[in-house]
Amino acid sequence: MDRRTFIKTCGSVATFSLLSSSFFSRSLKAQTNRFKKYKKAILLDKQGNPLNPSSLEVGKQYIFFYPYRSTPALLLNLGKEVKPSEVKLSDGSTYLWPGGVGPQRSIIAFCAICPHQLSYPTPEYSFINYYPHNKPSKAAKKGSVVQCCAHMSIFDPEKGGIVIDGPSEYPLLAIVLTYEEGKLYAIGTLGVELFRDFFDAYRSDLKKMYKSFRRAKKKVDKAVVVEVEEYVKEVIYC
Amino acid sequence: MSKKSYTVNRRNFIFASGLGILAVSVPKSVIFGEARGNRVVVVGGGYGGITVAKYVKKLVPESEVFLIEKNPMFVSCPLSNHFLVNLIDYGELCFPYNNLVVKYGVNFVNDEVIDIDLHRREVITSRGKIKYDYLVLSLGIEYDYEENPAFKEAYWSFPPAFKPGSEHLYLKRILDSFEGERFVITVPKMPYRCPPAPYERAALLLSYIKQEGLKVHLYFIDENDKPPIMTEGFMKAYEDFYKEDATYLTRTKVIEIDPKAKKIKTTKGEIRFDMANFIPPMRAPKLLEKIGIMKKGEKWVKVDPLTYETKFKNVFVIGDSSETYLPKSGYAAHSEGKVVAKIISSRITNKPWKGEIVHHAICYAMVNMKQAIMMEVEYKYDLQKKKVKKFVYEDNTWKVSTAKRYYEWARGLWRDLFT
Repeated sequence: MDRRTFIKTCGSVATFSLLSSSFFSRSLKAQTNRFKKYKKAILLDKQGNPLNPSSLEVGKQYIFFYPYRSTPALLLNLGKEVKPSEVKLSDGSTYLWPGGVGPQRSIIAFCAICPHQLSYPTPEYSFINYYPHNKPSKAAKKGSVVQCCAHMSIFDPEKGGIVIDGPSEYPLLAIVLTYEEGKLYAIGTLGVELFRDFFDAYRSDLKKMYKSFRRAKKKVDKAVVVEVEEYVKEVIYC
Repeated sequence: MSKKSYTVNRRNFIFASGLGILAVSVPKSVIFGEARGNRVVVVGGGYGGITVAKYVKKLVPESEVFLIEKNPMFVSCPLSNHFLVNLIDYGELCFPYNNLVVKYGVNFVNDEVIDIDLHRREVITSRGKIKYDYLVLSLGIEYDYEENPAFKEAYWSFPPAFKPGSEHLYLKRILDSFEGERFVITVPKMPYRCPPAPYERAALLLSYIKQEGLKVHLYFIDENDKPPIMTEGFMKAYEDFYKEDATYLTRTKVIEIDPKAKKIKTTKGEIRFDMANFIPPMRAPKLLEKIGIMKKGEKWVKVDPLTYETKFKNVFVIGDSSETYLPKSGYAAHSEGKVVAKIISSRITNKPWKGEIVHHAICYAMVNMKQAIMMEVEYKYDLQKKKVKKFVYEDNTWKVSTAKRYYEWARGLWRDLFT
């Protein structure tokens, strides 16, 4: 895809996605082969009401579980329009990330399982976190990044979760959101999925936490959004 | 990942579980048939070897990968210092190889390599010859008693615990029963396996001694000028925090050890001890010299530091045995394994790797029972531009959160190897 076509495509996808999520899904599938559709899940606040996008504070990190009830995702409001961008994988292949959604197209979401070695936020710790521009990572010496402090992989959430530095082979897996009639929905994932490895690696932990492994793997049709600091006892920054 | 690679391969499973029975009647002839262009033989089932075996199969499921390892079970050296001071159980360091066989279709051969014929492309094990197209040697280290024979006799009484397994178990046993007052730890001159490990061990033991209220003085005898990495973080321990409990002797070489009389003679005088941990000099295993990949007198294998390929085409040496940009450590071997897996996969499929090659290592080290320090080093190599970018970062501030990251660092590695 050349630059001109790419920009044109991004523009069309972004515009039409505001109108029709089914168009959006079809477009992504056609262009990338990295989009995977899951149950459409409405994002809710703690009271169980549809999440009001304006309640998402800029610079804060929020968590919800999608597409499975045990797979965490980070939800961010970057406070400015986040434009679509092309994500390049280390094998040279690419896919198109649609950018932000919401009234300002500033809301984005990524799977919070580190694509390097699967660290993820648990109720005890969170090693993978978002660092806003005004609270930069000391190790990375930069903000506006997602960093996993276990092995120091650094990702750029404004560019579809691409790897900026560190050992991760893959970008963050994007959670594809739509914004329809004032409500936010998650509709699928975009990128390299590692859910199978995640479930294999944490089988016994998930069984303990969700009482049964089958329950941990249940797909969701709604997801409650809370601040990471509320969900996790200790957020570990580096 | 193809569906096929997740299927239990009965043939592989038989190799893995029943080779011993089969092998009794097998003469030293070619076993497992001829190599057909896509066979990768990996010798050494540590951090590097497992990584290559798994990732080649992930990248090229139709490849034929053999992992030859003399031990039936993997035991981790990283985090073994934690075990010595009761921070973790030994069982947490042990992992079976079965997922490599069942999930990825690697042929696990539980056997010892006796010889390798680099010209005929054969690995000779105690049960027969295995042909290869690509060979990866990830053999770790040997203790170098020729460099300093003083350590040889001391091994039996005070094991170094720098090779995973029974050395740690025995060292722990004698540590637990130790009641004396004078403790000695020695550090060989760099390079050796895991540069921060002796310094972490000393700091952890001092912290443990304090915690238990024991009256023990540690003589820390170091052949180097200072801790080679995370210097500031470690020096804070020896010069400040544990000052009264430890004597840190730098640039001090061990001349003689008398394990019976419990005396050690060094270039800075003689020290009596009640308990010791003698860490000898190290080198690449002599098998590598025998097969001609290393010249006589050389300690480590010279490889292309960006690809780990030796002077023999399609023969790679990774991990502690080779001289590369990265320090000798389990994490580095793992990182090197990933690089080599990509290179081999691209050669098998005849599709040159287009992206960057990342050589990355992170080390964490405890400075007491609760806090840790860390360092990161990264070399990025652009295969097309042929340029290397280096990045180094150290965090020498003692932190509890760094200790938590340390555990997660190890668990992540184990997840990557065994999931």
